Amino acid sequence: MPLATKLAERRRLLVAVAATLAVLAPLAFFWQRSLVPNDLSPMTMGYADYGGGPMVHAHHGQDVSTLTGPANGKPDVAVDLTARKEKFEIPGRGSVDGYTLNHTSPGPQIVAQQGDLIQVTLHNESVPEGITLHWHGVDVPAAEDGVAGVTQDAVAPGQSFVYRFVAKDAGTYWYHSHQVSHEQVKKGLYGVLIVQPSPTDVIAAVHTYDKIRTVNGGYGERRVAAPGSTVRVRLINTDNGPMAAWVDGAPYRVLAVDGTDVNAPTEVSNKKVLVTAGGRIDLQVTMPQGSAVRIGLGGGPTTLVIGDGNAPTGTEPRDRVDLLSYGSPKRLEFDPAKADRNFQYNIGRRPGFFDGRPGLWWTINGHQFPDVPMFMVTEGDVVRMTIKNTSGQVHPMHLHGHHVVVLSRNGTAATGSPWWTDSLNVEDDETYEVAFVADNPGIWMDHCHNLPHAAQGLVTHLMYTGVTSNFHLGGSPGNQPE
Amino acid sequence: MRSVYRVLAGLVAVGVVLQAMFIALGWFTAIKDMDDGLVIDKNYEGNTGHMLHGQFGMMVIPIIALLLLIVSFFAKVQGGVRWALYVVGLVILQIALAFLSFGVAPVIGALHGLNAFALAAVAAMAARRAAVTREPAVEPTTTV
Repeated sequence: MPLATKLAERRRLLVAVAATLAVLAPLAFFWQRSLVPNDLSPMTMGYADYGGGPMVHAHHGQDVSTLTGPANGKPDVAVDLTARKEKFEIPGRGSVDGYTLNHTSPGPQIVAQQGDLIQVTLHNESVPEGITLHWHGVDVPAAEDGVAGVTQDAVAPGQSFVYRFVAKDAGTYWYHSHQVSHEQVKKGLYGVLIVQPSPTDVIAAVHTYDKIRTVNGGYGERRVAAPGSTVRVRLINTDNGPMAAWVDGAPYRVLAVDGTDVNAPTEVSNKKVLVTAGGRIDLQVTMPQGSAVRIGLGGGPTTLVIGDGNAPTGTEPRDRVDLLSYGSPKRLEFDPAKADRNFQYNIGRRPGFFDGRPGLWWTINGHQFPDVPMFMVTEGDVVRMTIKNTSGQVHPMHLHGHHVVVLSRNGTAATGSPWWTDSLNVEDDETYEVAFVADNPGIWMDHCHNLPHAAQGLVTHLMYTGVTSNFHLGGSPGNQPE
Repeated sequence: MRSVYRVLAGLVAVGVVLQAMFIALGWFTAIKDMDDGLVIDKNYEGNTGHMLHGQFGMMVIPIIALLLLIVSFFAKVQGGVRWALYVVGLVILQIALAFLSFGVAPVIGALHGLNAFALAAVAAMAARRAAVTREPAVEPTTTV
């Protein structure tokens, strides 16, 4: 082979290698940068965002695991829950594979009077990835919040964990696993929690197992007796998307949203209400004489009929009750205008890698998990937060441990009853301003309750000065809260 | 290297055919599931067909296309780099069209369907170039 040819060959090879590197290097860089460490402390992830307030550093922190409910005292309500991976029966449909609590899904209903000390002992018999229980909407002390890797370690098979907290606020709540929650909740690890039940309660907890939408665990038209001439329907959306609900056959009032009573609710006809994913809405329905009413639950074959006799079949009403203007205003116990901190929670979406996987991924203030803003507060702060969604999809935003009051939507101020919520449906291109008082020290998840979205990184934390956590995401307990 | 080039380009074309099968499977399954009581709303995540379509479209085919591009630098296929770049470009366009269909307007999805045919054709033509047995013109003759 002549020398010139040999040199040309060699040059050709060098060019090919260089071109290969030019293709692979940027890809490898972005891929590597997107990897989420397997052992990540919630204390070190992301970057601190003080929301324009003072940067307070505490020298000796209080560990989140010490912020428990009452350690002593006989519980008023004591429940033992055993989680298993097993088949269970969906009435009206047949048996499915999933997870149960005490051999049922949904798990046992927990009912307490206001002020009761609740004690739940959770046993994991056979859920391989470990489990926890989170009390959705209940502002419990931080150590009882049940978030794997933040407030506790996942409860491995064979282990137990005791939750103790006082049910200080009456209302409709639910509980669910916060370990691999996008899988475990869908497959059955959830249940209903009612504080201060009324004798006229009708529960309507909606849950979609794989392809099967159920109410109170049953598929299709489910019927219950009317417990009175007026009925309090407690709607609970345990799914990942917003649900429209309505009443065929009677007008209604919206009594409560996410566990907080509406001030001066007015009568509503031919309208639907939107129940945010994770959210709860209580309706008061006056039963018509001699016929039943039907609660429409998002369309589809699963509905709840209350009472005897024929139930009307309607379709989803076009108009919706707007909680921004529903009910009458009432003075708040704090002044949102005098906020100590103003946070921005901008939800976006961009193509790239997340934990090594290519796709379209969520961003918070332009950053991707785990490099997201940690909202830093001090106990007693009045906090304002602007949640802006330009991501193309709806996000049910859920802040643990607190209720927030809605101040405005897309610049329109709230004019109705104070709209207190813990699960806020933020549609694409919507901006909500909310406010709350930082009155529950801890490290609190502030995330999208479309649980697959959370698993894709739409998660951050509200962190109190001086509170620390020794729990880790990942690590040997395999903590994976979403 | 030529045969690797040919196989990879062929795999992209086969991948496009599989994608059509997956998405058809996905929606026919969804229609049957709806008859069985499934509600398709913001809560719906799709089924196995949709999942396979997503994984092939976002992972498998892009990786094969990139491997094709890298192999093209080494394989002495006439116009091989150029045709590999066409394939990579059309794959990127295909993903962009999918994103735009979700984000901007579903009507863009029609172009996503059309571009699939373009991608399959270009990938098949790239494979053919590597299959041709005659000596490529750019190859310096060493036997004379």
